[in-house]
Amino acid sequence: MTATPGHTSLYLPIGCEIISVSDLTPGEKLFRIRRADGVPLGHLPGQFVQVSLLGWGEAPISVASSPTREGFFELGVRRAGTLTGAMHALKAGDTLGIRGPFGRAFDLSRLRGQNLILISGGCGLAPMRSLIQYCEDRPAEFGSIAILYGAKSPADRLFKDELAVWEASARFACSMTVDNISVGDCFSGSVGLITALIPPLAFNPDSTIAAIVGPPAMYRAVIAELHKKGLPSERIIVSLERQMRCGVGKCGHCSIEHLLCCQDGPVFWLNEIEHLRGAL
Amino acid sequence: MKRSLTVCPYCGVGCTFYLVSNDGRLVGVEPSTTSPVNRGGLCVKGWNAYAFVHHPDRLTTPLVRRDGVLHPASWDEALNLVVERLQAVQATHGKDAVMFASSAKATNEENYLLMKLARAVFGTNNIDHCARLCHSSTVTGLAETFGSGAMTNSISCFDQTDVILIIGSNTTEQHPLIGSRILNAVQSGTHLIVADNRRIRLARHAALHLRHKNGSDVALLNGMMHVIIAEGLADQEFIADRTENYAALAASVADWTPERTAAATGLAAAEVVAAARLYAGAERAMIVYSMGITQHSHGVDNVRCIASLAMLTGNVGRPGTGVNPLRGQNNVQGGCDMGALPDLFSGYQKVADPLVRGKFAHTWGVSSLPSEPGLPLTRAMDAASEGCLHGMFIMGENPMLSDPDQGHARTVLENLELLVVQDIFLTETAAIADIVLPAACFAEKEGTFTNTERRVQRLHKAVEPPGQARADWEIICALAERAGYGGMRYTSPEEIMAEAASLTPIYGGIAYGRLDRHGLQWPCPDKTHPGTPIMHQDRFTRGLGYFTPVAHRLSAELPDAEYPFVLTTGRTYFHWHTGSMTRRTHLLDREEPRSFIELNPDDAARLGIRHRDMVLVSSRRGEITTEARVTGMVIAGVLFMPFHFAEGAANALTNNALDPESSIPEFKVCAVRLEKMP
Amino acid sequence: MKMLHPDQLDRFFASLAPTWELRLPILLPDGTRVIGCPNDAPHSLHGAPVAGKPTAAFFPQQSTLFTVTDGAIEEPPPADRPLFIVGFHPRDLACLRFIDRFFADGCRDDCYFRVRHGAAIGGLSGYCGPAGSLIPPAGGDCDVEFFWDRSSWLVIAYSATGNTLIADLPETAAPEAAELFPQLAAELPDENELLIRHASALLRANRVPDLFWADIGDRCIACTGCNLACPTCTCFGVQDWRSAQKTERSRMWDSCQLDGFMREAGGHNPLGSEAERTRRRIHHKLAADPEKWGEISCFLCGRCDSVCPTGIGIISVAREMVARFA
Repeated sequence: MTATPGHTSLYLPIGCEIISVSDLTPGEKLFRIRRADGVPLGHLPGQFVQVSLLGWGEAPISVASSPTREGFFELGVRRAGTLTGAMHALKAGDTLGIRGPFGRAFDLSRLRGQNLILISGGCGLAPMRSLIQYCEDRPAEFGSIAILYGAKSPADRLFKDELAVWEASARFACSMTVDNISVGDCFSGSVGLITALIPPLAFNPDSTIAAIVGPPAMYRAVIAELHKKGLPSERIIVSLERQMRCGVGKCGHCSIEHLLCCQDGPVFWLNEIEHLRGAL
Repeated sequence: MKRSLTVCPYCGVGCTFYLVSNDGRLVGVEPSTTSPVNRGGLCVKGWNAYAFVHHPDRLTTPLVRRDGVLHPASWDEALNLVVERLQAVQATHGKDAVMFASSAKATNEENYLLMKLARAVFGTNNIDHCARLCHSSTVTGLAETFGSGAMTNSISCFDQTDVILIIGSNTTEQHPLIGSRILNAVQSGTHLIVADNRRIRLARHAALHLRHKNGSDVALLNGMMHVIIAEGLADQEFIADRTENYAALAASVADWTPERTAAATGLAAAEVVAAARLYAGAERAMIVYSMGITQHSHGVDNVRCIASLAMLTGNVGRPGTGVNPLRGQNNVQGGCDMGALPDLFSGYQKVADPLVRGKFAHTWGVSSLPSEPGLPLTRAMDAASEGCLHGMFIMGENPMLSDPDQGHARTVLENLELLVVQDIFLTETAAIADIVLPAACFAEKEGTFTNTERRVQRLHKAVEPPGQARADWEIICALAERAGYGGMRYTSPEEIMAEAASLTPIYGGIAYGRLDRHGLQWPCPDKTHPGTPIMHQDRFTRGLGYFTPVAHRLSAELPDAEYPFVLTTGRTYFHWHTGSMTRRTHLLDREEPRSFIELNPDDAARLGIRHRDMVLVSSRRGEITTEARVTGMVIAGVLFMPFHFAEGAANALTNNALDPESSIPEFKVCAVRLEKMP
Repeated sequence: MKMLHPDQLDRFFASLAPTWELRLPILLPDGTRVIGCPNDAPHSLHGAPVAGKPTAAFFPQQSTLFTVTDGAIEEPPPADRPLFIVGFHPRDLACLRFIDRFFADGCRDDCYFRVRHGAAIGGLSGYCGPAGSLIPPAGGDCDVEFFWDRSSWLVIAYSATGNTLIADLPETAAPEAAELFPQLAAELPDENELLIRHASALLRANRVPDLFWADIGDRCIACTGCNLACPTCTCFGVQDWRSAQKTERSRMWDSCQLDGFMREAGGHNPLGSEAERTRRRIHHKLAADPEKWGEISCFLCGRCDSVCPTGIGIISVAREMVARFA
């Protein structure tokens, strides 16, 4: 697919090339991609792109890599429907289409100088990784950084190699948990819900910001634990997943009352949306 | 930009809408605001009826199988081959070794022509269509009791009734624009009795929801009639003036006390009494039924009981009353009317009647026509496996998914000497055919459909068929010509209808010039007749209405220790039958993308099955995997499954147990086992 | 002030044909009135608002976004002549203004503006409502307005395009009706308008319980007609069609009344019940849009009420809401 030069249409995908594909879990792959025209994607941590496979349609996928890693961007993709199923058949050198980046990113200006608690569940680690990598590459910009991650099982954890690096790094305080563990699993974290990782944390609510990305069922429980620790909604960030069809505020599929997840989000301050029906 | 008024290709309600096209491509649908049927509204399928028409999967060229693979062929080659091979099968095995399956999706004119092709050109009465699978019980049961097997009243009657008894019809999902009239009627004070053990939407609005056991309809209806007679609620004047054989009926229901009925149906005795009083106490009451009544091995008996209940209370022949079978397909009424049936010519004229045969033979210019009734569709598979049937010509049907006992159907179809399929997509059946003929769809041709209230309405062509595809009527005429028959030269469907009307008394007054605006309801015997919104007003078609006493019979296959669940099958709101059109319509397929089975929460808890778990369902005939939908829609012990999906096909499980009189299969009851997938 | 006698209409419209692709209310054979091509059926300027979204010319039920043939992307070609669409009642004009703003805001929807840009809009008002009733004049929001004063059409241009369109019409002495415009509009207190504002206030004050939405939802058969007939509904779905030769991506009107509208691949659905979906349909117009756009986005054209098979269009629901919770 070639994008005709000079096209500005909202709905035309830009041709991209897959640099490499790697397995994250049995059901999830990581795609390293670059624009065919060599132009950087130009995204910020927390933004998403609309990925196109002609004949299969489009789907919104969060960018999993930080813009500080130049020359490519990465997408973590779970096989869930026909489009993502088709994506999983792609290999290095194949092409696909991208529109974006779209949406509101993590507000780096407000995160700077703060202590961060980065909480992700399941494949929510993919979008969170864009922020973690950013912190990794700009360590001086932030205070202490805690990474909390929960997955179904040790094998279901994404980015296992990087998790090990982050765990070993003095820059991050990592806590990991899984729902289930089987005999023979090599896993040093705890077993249980991610909410259990929050009470042991010691932090000053006035200088701390927490960010949450995970499956729909996770948000309320995690938020309740953070509130218990005195962290107000103004200091909690959530990144929400919706089934955007356009990414540009037109199709209506990602609306949350008067807000649009693709424009006003996907990253929200909790106090902006906690009172809105259907948000969490 | 162009607009063409046409009739919806989905259910039998017969909503009309405009197809909007731009430069030869459909871009949308606009409902007719003046239609007495849909009054400016449509259901979700109607609103999306344009969306499959230009799908890239459409068949665009004839296909002929060579070395096991279907290859594109010219019309010349394909048509010649069809005729040669049909004739060859007949030469070897006899005239009745071939069968023609007509289509309730095709027009009246096309059904008439295929019936003519089978009888006049190929000399066989082996012609039938999917009415066999949906309302053959109605045609048989109401013909016997009333003299005519069609909906007695009109859709407008739902606005003028006091009580509606809905039995075996999920009306808001399967006939949505009639279901919505019923919802409106309830808002205006009409009382509903829903007799159906699924908690369908209408049940939420019902004064009484009777969740009787699958297959216990005869017991329920006999029990209601017992109460009506015992409590003096019967309409003695109507019975005396308009009916016969009442004494036999009264005797047959005498021992169907509420207590006995309760035991047979699983209901409380008080529910039976309440239903009887509500129905019989109304000044005007309608009965609505559909496949929940007909698709049983005792489907005809079910229909007889319904007819008796209506006559017993004088609820026939007036506005807001009647026996109202809702026909499934857009033109299943017309398919029957046009004689795509093994024992009947158009207008329900018997092939066994020499006078009728003579009339048809004379007009068709042939010396004789076959006199023995042919094979019903549901006996075709058995006939083929017994070596009596060797070739099939299937127009617009997909028995690989729609027939009961899919495994058996597949074996038989694959082993035929000749299978010809004429369709718009390469359906599961077309994919195993020897020759495939590409047809035009509803948007690409002229013709008429007859809806469930017997309203004959016109289709207007909106766009050209894709590639080389042709209208079914054109293909049939070309086949006749190649078979050496000169009596099928028409320039338009209008000419075909003129011929059909001349041979069909109930359609005698049907002519294209008279169908503009809103069509005509048959019986319409002559060119000045205004049509008949309500049948049997002063006399029944057969003269007096006939009460047929009916004994309660159990379903052919009951649950047991090995197969402990009752499986009942049906459709969903968003898909149509085998899904060849709706599964290619983006919004509809998005709603219901995969096969599922409904399971009561108590059963689910007992079996450790959670919502959306994959389950293995097996019967004596096959097994499939599908997704569990844990819901109070179904009662404990009963499972419901739609048959649209090729992957996880309900008809791999169903039982080809036939009603002895109508030959309808028992799609509504079979025994299955359910296990959680590891 | 310009004026058109009824018998001059055809000539006037014909004179525009070389420059404009004309669309106007026409009377179809079964009596349905829609906006269509003048050659397809007789024009029909008098009566209720036409059936169907009057905005469908710019945002059709299905439209191609692009096709890809052998790797080359192609967008639909622009029309050779701009559209001139006559037949917008003042309420329809308000709808058009609303979705013009919607499609232009933020990321400009070039698929919409490919047709909308350069198109001219003709409003209809005066005593041309059902049974000769008065439709108060729009007094703007269009290029040219046709006001039926019971004997002829007063023609008023509000834009340069409008002036060009009617340049060749003869000038007539300004009749009094023109001065009456503001007064005429003010004289018509609209009950539905008061009703919808009242319903909006109830919703925004959180006075409508969930049980109400469950009740209404029980009466919804998910036909989606309310959304598909609504001139301010803009939601769409996207599909790809792939054949050996080419791939086509198109968009089609979608509906928030469908379970699949927001259902995610993993099964989670923020609009997972009939009650939630019914609430969204009304809440979106009466509470969410006022929050986002500063105005109620139902302009009371009545189309969802006419098209709904079960009588739960927005005006009916608002009436029930006010009756029960005011």
